Amino acid sequence: MKKEAITSLVARRSFLRRIGAAAACAGAVATTGALGVAKKVAAKSKAASSGGSFPTPDYDWSKRRWAFGVDATKCIGCLRCVEACKTENGVPLDASHFRTWVERYVYLEGERNARIDSQSDPRNIAATGSGKEYRFDNRYKDAKVEKAFFVPKLCNQCEHPPCVQVCPTGATYRTKDGVVLIDHKYCIGCQYCVQACPYGARYFIHEKGVTDKCNWCYHRITRGMQPACVEVCPVNARIFGDRNDPASPISQFIRNNRVQVLRPETGNAPNCFYVGIDKEVS
Amino acid sequence: MPKHIVRLISLMVAGLVVALIAKWYFTDDSFYRFGHFRADSVAEIAAREPAFQTPRYCQSCHAERYAQWSANNHKTVICETCHGAAKGHPQEKAKLAIPADTRKLCTLCHEAMPGRPRTQPQVALDWHSGGQQCIVCHNPHAPKLAGVVAAVAGDAAAGGKKHAASCASCHGAAGISPNDTWPSLAGQSAAYLVRILGAYKSGDQSDVMMSPVAKTLGDSDIQNLAAYYAGLSCKAAPGEAPTDDAAAGKILAAKNCAACHGETGIGSNPAWPRLAGQKSGYLVNALKAFRAGLRKDPMMAGITRGLSDADIDNLAAYYAAQSCEPVAQAGKTP
Repeated sequence: MKKEAITSLVARRSFLRRIGAAAACAGAVATTGALGVAKKVAAKSKAASSGGSFPTPDYDWSKRRWAFGVDATKCIGCLRCVEACKTENGVPLDASHFRTWVERYVYLEGERNARIDSQSDPRNIAATGSGKEYRFDNRYKDAKVEKAFFVPKLCNQCEHPPCVQVCPTGATYRTKDGVVLIDHKYCIGCQYCVQACPYGARYFIHEKGVTDKCNWCYHRITRGMQPACVEVCPVNARIFGDRNDPASPISQFIRNNRVQVLRPETGNAPNCFYVGIDKEVS
Repeated sequence: MPKHIVRLISLMVAGLVVALIAKWYFTDDSFYRFGHFRADSVAEIAAREPAFQTPRYCQSCHAERYAQWSANNHKTVICETCHGAAKGHPQEKAKLAIPADTRKLCTLCHEAMPGRPRTQPQVALDWHSGGQQCIVCHNPHAPKLAGVVAAVAGDAAAGGKKHAASCASCHGAAGISPNDTWPSLAGQSAAYLVRILGAYKSGDQSDVMMSPVAKTLGDSDIQNLAAYYAGLSCKAAPGEAPTDDAAAGKILAAKNCAACHGETGIGSNPAWPRLAGQKSGYLVNALKAFRAGLRKDPMMAGITRGLSDADIDNLAAYYAAQSCEPVAQAGKTP
């Protein structure tokens, strides 16, 4: 036999041996897997059959249709909502992560465009001395102000949310009661949703590698409470309730006011209704 | 079919089956239950514990504070807006924050600022408080100053007897002082009289003449006297003729005093004294005493700090020259 032929035979034998070992391993995995699969089948059939109210025993999400109202004519820009939201939802205490925020629009005499700032503006952060507390500085105290107002902003919980459309993993979704939630276990941190949201409502938590945003304090509203920002607002500029109930504050707010939504042209159909804002607010 | 094609197709089918099984196996049980998401995550999010507990939670222990707060202007501002979230209180967090710097806290809402609605009560910090903390004058649970007005429920007739016995010799038989240094009391606000007599009695305020007299008065005496003086006519007090000083005083008064004591010395709030028609010598002494810190009142200390002797003379002349209210109104205890 030639020397080359012997070498190729040796190589073939070692290859077959390796294949054999791999097959044995696969077999072992398959047996344990089969046991797991059997358990899994049992679990899945059980999950599918459990009925009753969802997501909690006392709360049925198919009975509610939540909506939010903002009366900008009442807002005084005290930013209690912003601080309360951070406490309630464990939002990082810095000047760049907010589930809800407040913008100030100021038209000075002789100027065509509004000057806009929010609580995260460096001068407003300097007014408190830290990024953990928030207040608007009084920079327009001596200016000739033609018109000025504050606009609270938050997630609009759109009827057709673009953030949900772009999520590749099903980590963000719209509930039956009309709130867009984020499943942090399934979020892979790709931030497509952050870019898709035309309102800038989403932010990224670098420490956890997940996105986050306002969910109207879902843990509160499912307990029959108001969202934290609505609760602490001293002037009732924020209104929340169930549109299925004609007597709820939000139903009355929408019925008794001329309301508008932000960026209606996007077709997202937001569920935050505003009163008292200029067209410049978007 | 050629053998290698069959092998290829069967390999693809096997791969597909493995992929489908893997997907079925690795996908969470609750995924697809309601849609393209994990249904269990809804319950997980809903299970978080709320941090803000709402006033009803606070009421269960702090019923008295709750009653006061819910009856006053700040009733739309919940406890936790100022004191912070009550989660864990009182079990883990024994005490919630009691904001120390009220000039910082209150101005979040009440600093005069373009963009705030006109209906929102706002103050220009530069002149409003004279650098004092807000709680010196305002009770945060009942912020309107009317909330601290002393209650008056005295018997005017009994007060009249006490007056004749203890006070008439200096303050005049009808509550109109016979000289320039002692104040007239007729028509004075009853709530103010109760407060100021109480202060003389407790020693918060002292005066060579007044302190010994006030210490002999009982609480009911004070109530009766206040009711008596408030019901007297102040008309007999001769309004002093306006002078050049008074004109200058009017400008000063509009800037410094009118917000509380009224433009003509008749303030809207019964907690503060009426100045119209008061003796000018008494007003000068009182203002100087506030300025020197002999009479202690944080509001008045701030206001009088910037006044010169001439300013004080002008102010006193202006208020002394104002006519006090008609009898019918002066008799009312608001």
